[in-house]
Amino acid sequence: MSINNRGDPFDSPTFGKSLSLKVDGGFNAISINPSARDVVLASRQGLYIIDLDDPFSPPRWLHHETPWQVADVQWCPHPAKPHWVVSTSNQKAIIWNLNRSSSDAIEYALHGHSRAITDINFNPQEPDILATCSVDTYVHAWDLRSPKRPFYSTSPWRSSASQVKWNHKDSNIMASSHGNDVFIWDLRNGSTPLVKLEGHKSSVNSIDFNRFKSSEIMSSSNDGTVKFWDYSRCVTNSIKTVQTDFPIWRGRYLPFGKGYCVMPMVGGDNSVYLMNLDDTDHEEEFGNTDCVEKASKLQPIYTFKGHSDRVIDFLWRSRHSHDTFIDDREFELVTWSKDCSLRLWPISDILYDKVNFERNKRLEEKLPDYQYMTYNREVKGNVVDNSNDYKRVKENFVTTSGLTNMNNVNHLNWLSGVRMNDEHSPADMFEEPKLHNLGEEVSAIGHKFPKVVFEKISVSTGELVLTLNGPWDENDPDEYIFLRIEVKIPADYPCKGNAPRFRIEENDKLTSATKQKMMKKLNEITELYTDSGLYCLEQCLHYLLGEEVSMDLERSIDEPLFYLDVPNVSEFNDFSSVTGTDMTDASVESSSDSENGVFKSAYDDGAEIRNTFGRNLAMDSTPVPNECGAIWTSTGQLLTFFSTDNKVDRKQRTSLKLTREQLETKAQEELKSDKDNVNNMLDGQPSDVRPKRYVDTLVKKDAASHVSDSSSSEESDSDDSFGSFVDDWNDIVGNDIVARTQVPALLGNFGKSFGSVHSESVKTGDSSRVIKNVIMVNDFSNLITESKDLALQYDIMTEFPEEMARHNALAAEKYGYEEISHCWQILSDMLMAEKTDSFTSFTWNSNPLGIKWFMKEAIVHFELEGNIQMLSMLYCVVANLYRDNLESSESYNVQDSYKSLVSYNFDDSKEVWKSDVNSQYSTNNTINSQGDMSYKSKILASLDNHSIRSDEIAGVNQYLMGTRVANSRAMPTSKRNSNIGFPTPIIPALTRVTDISVELIHDDVLESFRNSVHEILEPNDIIKCKRYVLMYAKLLYRWGLPMERVKLLKMCLLSSAADLHDDMFTASDLNRVNNNSIEVNWITSSKTDNFVASCNYCNLRIKGNMFVCGNCQHIMHMDCAKKWWAIGNECPSGCGCHCPNEYDVSP
Amino acid sequence: MVSITNAHNDLIHDAVLDYYGKRLATCSSDKTIKVFEVDGETHKLLDTLEGHEGPVWRVDWAHPKFGTILASCSYDGKVIVWKEENGRWSQIATHAVHSASVNSVQWAPHEYGVMLLAASSDGKVSIIEFKEQGVSAPIIIDAHTVGVNSACWAPVSYEDGAAAGEQPKELRRFVTGGADNLVKVWRYNSETQTYALEDTLSGHADWVRDVAWSPSVLLRSYIASVSQDKTCIVWSQENNKGPWKKTEVQQDKFPDVLWRASWSLSGNILALSGGDNKVTLWKENLAGAWEPAGEVQQ
Repeated sequence: MSINNRGDPFDSPTFGKSLSLKVDGGFNAISINPSARDVVLASRQGLYIIDLDDPFSPPRWLHHETPWQVADVQWCPHPAKPHWVVSTSNQKAIIWNLNRSSSDAIEYALHGHSRAITDINFNPQEPDILATCSVDTYVHAWDLRSPKRPFYSTSPWRSSASQVKWNHKDSNIMASSHGNDVFIWDLRNGSTPLVKLEGHKSSVNSIDFNRFKSSEIMSSSNDGTVKFWDYSRCVTNSIKTVQTDFPIWRGRYLPFGKGYCVMPMVGGDNSVYLMNLDDTDHEEEFGNTDCVEKASKLQPIYTFKGHSDRVIDFLWRSRHSHDTFIDDREFELVTWSKDCSLRLWPISDILYDKVNFERNKRLEEKLPDYQYMTYNREVKGNVVDNSNDYKRVKENFVTTSGLTNMNNVNHLNWLSGVRMNDEHSPADMFEEPKLHNLGEEVSAIGHKFPKVVFEKISVSTGELVLTLNGPWDENDPDEYIFLRIEVKIPADYPCKGNAPRFRIEENDKLTSATKQKMMKKLNEITELYTDSGLYCLEQCLHYLLGEEVSMDLERSIDEPLFYLDVPNVSEFNDFSSVTGTDMTDASVESSSDSENGVFKSAYDDGAEIRNTFGRNLAMDSTPVPNECGAIWTSTGQLLTFFSTDNKVDRKQRTSLKLTREQLETKAQEELKSDKDNVNNMLDGQPSDVRPKRYVDTLVKKDAASHVSDSSSSEESDSDDSFGSFVDDWNDIVGNDIVARTQVPALLGNFGKSFGSVHSESVKTGDSSRVIKNVIMVNDFSNLITESKDLALQYDIMTEFPEEMARHNALAAEKYGYEEISHCWQILSDMLMAEKTDSFTSFTWNSNPLGIKWFMKEAIVHFELEGNIQMLSMLYCVVANLYRDNLESSESYNVQDSYKSLVSYNFDDSKEVWKSDVNSQYSTNNTINSQGDMSYKSKILASLDNHSIRSDEIAGVNQYLMGTRVANSRAMPTSKRNSNIGFPTPIIPALTRVTDISVELIHDDVLESFRNSVHEILEPNDIIKCKRYVLMYAKLLYRWGLPMERVKLLKMCLLSSAADLHDDMFTASDLNRVNNNSIEVNWITSSKTDNFVASCNYCNLRIKGNMFVCGNCQHIMHMDCAKKWWAIGNECPSGCGCHCPNEYDVSP
Repeated sequence: MVSITNAHNDLIHDAVLDYYGKRLATCSSDKTIKVFEVDGETHKLLDTLEGHEGPVWRVDWAHPKFGTILASCSYDGKVIVWKEENGRWSQIATHAVHSASVNSVQWAPHEYGVMLLAASSDGKVSIIEFKEQGVSAPIIIDAHTVGVNSACWAPVSYEDGAAAGEQPKELRRFVTGGADNLVKVWRYNSETQTYALEDTLSGHADWVRDVAWSPSVLLRSYIASVSQDKTCIVWSQENNKGPWKKTEVQQDKFPDVLWRASWSLSGNILALSGGDNKVTLWKENLAGAWEPAGEVQQ
């Protein structure tokens, strides 16, 4: 595909022609590229870039969702920055760089206004300067070289601004309209207005500086007047007032000659009016120093009329020769209306004369030259913007792959919205149902043949690629063959000698003989039609689909291809599920038949209500919707929903079955001859009786409900034309399953939403037709291995694991979980044995009766069962043992003395050297641990950056738990350390304690403890179990048991920061439950916030005075701390720290 | 047992309880979404959300840390994100990159941020991450040529084999099922910031109607896929790597097409529903075969 991106404006296929483009989507603002090739439309969904020279190619869509309507969009008018577009997004102005890819096109966002921006204006002289004005009454001027804040701001304070415009001559002057007044500002003058122009009786909607006289400005207002001012001469009143009979939305000077255009806000025939400015009066007035206001009535010299709703904006498209001193500019009016159409209106030479535009006049300076190119194509990757080296940029920029990214806009629908005409008769061309060009033809056939898939449409280069299924199998005429066909259409098509050329792709099913036959016939058809200057693609497609093609031109011309109501037609086509011509023939044959009339109207209703969203239904692969379903809830309950049918339904169903049999016998012959291929169209399989696709059911449900109507009214069905839908019907009831599942639908559920005929019957109170549905919650918690009851009963944290196991065994027994109860029982016995044997030097760990073996087996078993609760609880026991172990090992040294843990090491001959080192390098050691500490506090800080709340920190503390538990008793040591100036002396001690607890013990008695910790579970199992614990924690949380969850995590999370990350947010959820008022900004997830911490007592954020426990680092409000310590001595975070014991809690 | 009759005027296509099990959202062919408050045996209609122009296929609640947020997808090709604030629901985002019906929508595990996975009949899946100020940056993937019927995130998991102390590599995956009879597993590549096809699982003889990734992080990953061909296949993978093992839930075909699969929260029980208006429950026995565990019929 080679679309000319850098063309000559005089090659434009659309300039000087009428053009209408339908663009749906609520676009509210429009602007044009300075080279006048592209227009940009802006809506709340983003921007559309439309190439006016290739209106058939779909627009480029720059996606940007805003909840507010876009007030204004402007394309940068400077040759230096033709890729800039500015649009409003409420209080921001967004600068788009069209040289970037659409997903990344926002170059700047100007944020300075506090309320919605109403107008944007680029400075006509300085490419980097633009002005914005807003409802907040401010007018800001921005320099895009420093877009952070405006370099100039002003405001008249009283009323919001509606428009801001720069002076065309003096780049320091701008004007803004506020309420009924217009202010002229000079940037050098600060925020004092140069002039305030008062005179309008209602608010001013639009202002515009005169391009040729720098001190002249026109203003248009709701009071129905246009006022012309010359503030250099007269500031008290306008020099001219023109009265109209409608409020004026926009009024601007013409860019050529001496004239202006106005456009009504309401009324005024939805037209744009063009007036000339009577210059002779002006000259007269010139000497006149006392300002006399001239008043006149609106006397348009031309009216651009044709829109069916109000015009939103108008602009001028112009072109002129390159590099010239001759003013050979040509203009074309572009209007964008609320009726969703964009129109081009050619300007005749008479008009130029009327506004005193002297064409071909010699100019003093060159007209600015713009690169004539389109930004309609998607840009791949970023192109470095280098405005000095223009040509090079262009080369990089031009890509031909834009269309592949155009998935947002249905190309066929887009095509059908384009109308073009050579004739200068804009008023009536839009109503004429006739083909004008290839684009319209493609669009028409696209809608007429919904089963033909257009893989590629390129109107400008005349290339089409389409795929279809045609009956070209030599052996079996009923077999459809998939064909892929390329069509090349000459530029002068459909003139004589410019027949399109077809190329059928190789296909193993298609014999070469058939292919040659097809090619020959196609050539015959195309030549025949193009010789008469007629469009022939439709006939070719008929042929390719295996239908008869009339070679009699007279007859075929009678059948107009062009449908104005395209969507309806496509519905109808698709519905009939036979090919296009058959459909038309059928309707012609039976047009006298009243039955058919009903039939048809039913479709029309359907088509109206059944919104297809502009899709090609033949390609719609949406599956049949589910009518029932089951979704598990978190508590082991099953949420189910069903559609129900009652007894009345069943009765009707049997009666329908009878009807169906009658129908079948009567229409049997028809059925044989007419094979339906809608179903296998997509997957190429032989007809599948069960509808898979949603659209098929729609079609069938409509048909089916129609049958039910006719059968209930005892309608005779001997009519032949009835066959076509009996055919559909047969499809539905092809087997009993289908019939059964179709019945609820048949009895009116779709009728209600899709067919007005049936909605009436619903209204009359025929209750059997109303769909019944039911949502139920079924309790299947017995199937779920995890039990909330158990979770409530289970002990999680205990000093005596064996008792915990016993308790849990009883709990499981109570709720009837025999297996689990047994497991706990065994575990309890084993733990008990461990305990009593603990002072003997023998352990049974690896013995089949030992605990290690048992745990391993239990884990394997519960993994198979998928019992996360049990797995977590088992791990919990181990964790309890670990904790227990630490405490008991520590209790030894506590009993020993308070001196230090190091002293304990001396008992162990093996450790002497090491302890020696410890004591010798004690300073060194403390330094190390200091580093260690800072590392840990770093973790805390970074966690806070992720806005994790204090409970997370509790998690971190749990991560340190194994050590801390010991540590809390080892305070004397750390206190001693504090002499050397540690602010929080705990952590240095910590590291040492861990060292010791792992390494120092070389005692038979202690050995058993060590083993119980490290060898009950294998490292792999530990990793796995931690995951189970996290998952179980989530489950507990969902069950509404945050306390159990916290206990569990506290017990088991001897894990790294990674695991913490895994569970990062559940803790903040906890906060949410505790205090619903916590606002979670749903958009920011990992935004680095300021240090935010919440009180562990009241969960609110802390500002000002707070209490920090020096041990566990948990914080509280000062007031909360007072309250809390009055009633308890354990940290409110649940971390287990007894803060008052460790730290001075008095404020 | 809670039972709500005739909540909608038309077929119901989805019903989902929120994180805390307190609110129920349902969607229907009548183009509306209804939000109920469910408390024990009682229920109360809180709101009816209107905004879609076609039947609404699926709804999904976002994790509560993001607020009370609901996503819905519809035949009209749009995904709408709804938010409740002070008892009022409003649309906060519309996602309209698909050119055909959007058949499923699901929020990513909350650890990944505010992220939606949408599957459409236009053959594409899109992953939309909602960032600050409403700007969305969709990743669009051509997944199944004829149409994607369902897509489902995997639970958060990590690659095995990371050395001690090293952060294990995140394994962000999702599964799609489409009208090309295939099930595909996709994996996020954090370097290219896109999703790449990891595995293609073929086994169904007709359109895959629904895929569901078990939320369990137990020994292996499970994916259940149900199809128009009246079969359900459970695919399992050991330790997040290696080939996927195919297990048919039932040797014989089901009596009718299957529409929907759902795993219980800890992944033990699979609930299947289909064209015969029946829900069947399945449980894996210790030998790894699937056994019926119950049945619900209207």
